[in-house]
Amino acid sequence: MLATRVSTAQRLARSFATVSDSAGIRVAAVDRNQPTSAVTILVKAGSRFESKPGVANGLKNFAFKSTAKRSAIGTVRESELYGGVLSASLTREHIALTAEFLRGDEQFFVDVLSSFVTSAKYTRHEFEEYVTPLIESDAAAAAADPATHAIDVAHALAFRSGLGASLTGPAHSSITVEDIKSFAKSAFTKGNIAVIGSGIDQTLLAQLVEKSLSSAPVSGAASSSTSSYFGGETRVEAHGGPQTVFIGFGTTGAPSAELAALAAHLSPEASIKWSQGTSSIASAIPQGASVQAVYLPYSDATLVGLLVQGETTADVKEAGKAAVDVLKKAAAGVDAEALKKAVVKAKFSAASAAESRDGLVSALGSHVLAGTPTTLEASLAVFDNVTASAFTKAASGLLKNKPTYVAVGDITTLPYADELGL
Amino acid sequence: MAGPLSVSLASYVKSSRTLTKWVTPIANWYADAAGYRKYGFKYDDLLVEERDDVQRALGRLTTREKYDRAFRLKRASQASVLHAPLPKEQWLSAEEDNRYLRPHVLEVAKEDAERKLWDTIKVSRK
Repeated sequence: MLATRVSTAQRLARSFATVSDSAGIRVAAVDRNQPTSAVTILVKAGSRFESKPGVANGLKNFAFKSTAKRSAIGTVRESELYGGVLSASLTREHIALTAEFLRGDEQFFVDVLSSFVTSAKYTRHEFEEYVTPLIESDAAAAAADPATHAIDVAHALAFRSGLGASLTGPAHSSITVEDIKSFAKSAFTKGNIAVIGSGIDQTLLAQLVEKSLSSAPVSGAASSSTSSYFGGETRVEAHGGPQTVFIGFGTTGAPSAELAALAAHLSPEASIKWSQGTSSIASAIPQGASVQAVYLPYSDATLVGLLVQGETTADVKEAGKAAVDVLKKAAAGVDAEALKKAVVKAKFSAASAAESRDGLVSALGSHVLAGTPTTLEASLAVFDNVTASAFTKAASGLLKNKPTYVAVGDITTLPYADELGL
Repeated sequence: MAGPLSVSLASYVKSSRTLTKWVTPIANWYADAAGYRKYGFKYDDLLVEERDDVQRALGRLTTREKYDRAFRLKRASQASVLHAPLPKEQWLSAEEDNRYLRPHVLEVAKEDAERKLWDTIKVSRK
């Protein structure tokens, strides 16, 4: 048993890339001998860096439109001929432009990605014909889902500016193509970009990046003011979706393993389908209500919370009370057995997230951008150092802050924070 | 060939200095004699617009350009109702007669041609 553990650790350690510097751009690649490769250009241009609400989302939706090298339709059709998939995603910290393709086509896809970074045209008609509908549908989709909406509002309450900026921006935004263009110009600079590959050789990727991205302007990394936590309470009227309450606590500073373990401890999610989870929240919530633990780590802040949803507001109130109760008990201290369980649960979810491509980018991303080499082993080792006292300290410190409380749904009957015992 | 912009020798004429020198006065005289400027029109207001590509090009004008175009069309229709050209101070001068729509039409035509190319392309893998 121990022998197998050791060898897994060695394999994992090898599977994480060293960060190399290619023409001033940091490149990292992991090759696990998959049949397909993926290359992600990670740009420090998430919504926390945006100059105007919604600009980061606009830039994300502008991805793969016409560039000096090829038109939007050329990009799509040519990628289809190669059998590749292009995608762009936005988080509060980063914009990720990803191409997934068969091995051997890396030259073309790195060129597609880098030509958007270096020579996108940002034409007004493309903004009006293709990008605006995407921005609107993003905003509509986020507003239609009470959970997403609640977490978005919670960020605004918890961090106000910076991380508080909404991912999708306002439903009726006033951004113009010029705003996006100037934001892109400030974002797509060498210090701000990292290239992460999976299923591709590091030296090959570094070569391609050097060839195609060396023309990117040189400039330092984007900076936003350090986050500070505020907290507060708000209620949003919504129809159609489940009644939703988000109870969160935030803290500033680098994310810690203790808080990940706290979220894992609270999570009533069952490990086996159709069964009940072992968290004490699971047994206390009524039928028809659900509680999800939310753990959102950022570079300089963390938001930990519970998302309570239910068909009726009475269910939500009961489940919310139970959840807050368990949260408070956890802050007072947990027994050794429960802590051990929470830590391995958190460790497993961190490790299994790094297996997937998106997870790999989010696990590696900030390290690569910062130029600090890391291994999966090192990022998981922090979980082994979680002690009961550190856990209690982190949890009680978290609960000392003002809670972030968001109610979305029927606001006349949804509970207020004090009614749940906060 | 029979596009909204029709066949043009302009690029050939412009490439030769002698030809340009000879043709320009005639061209200017012709544009003036065509009479559309007397009704306050720009040349691009006369492009055949009942076509998908020109409609798309019209959609790419700025709000200001769209408004001005609609204004010129209305003013000209009113002049047509009155069976008389506009008063002379409202005639369009040659400097104002810019091709505000032509670049958009060309771009749309280029996009359509590219789409057609991609739709009918024969692919061979190297």
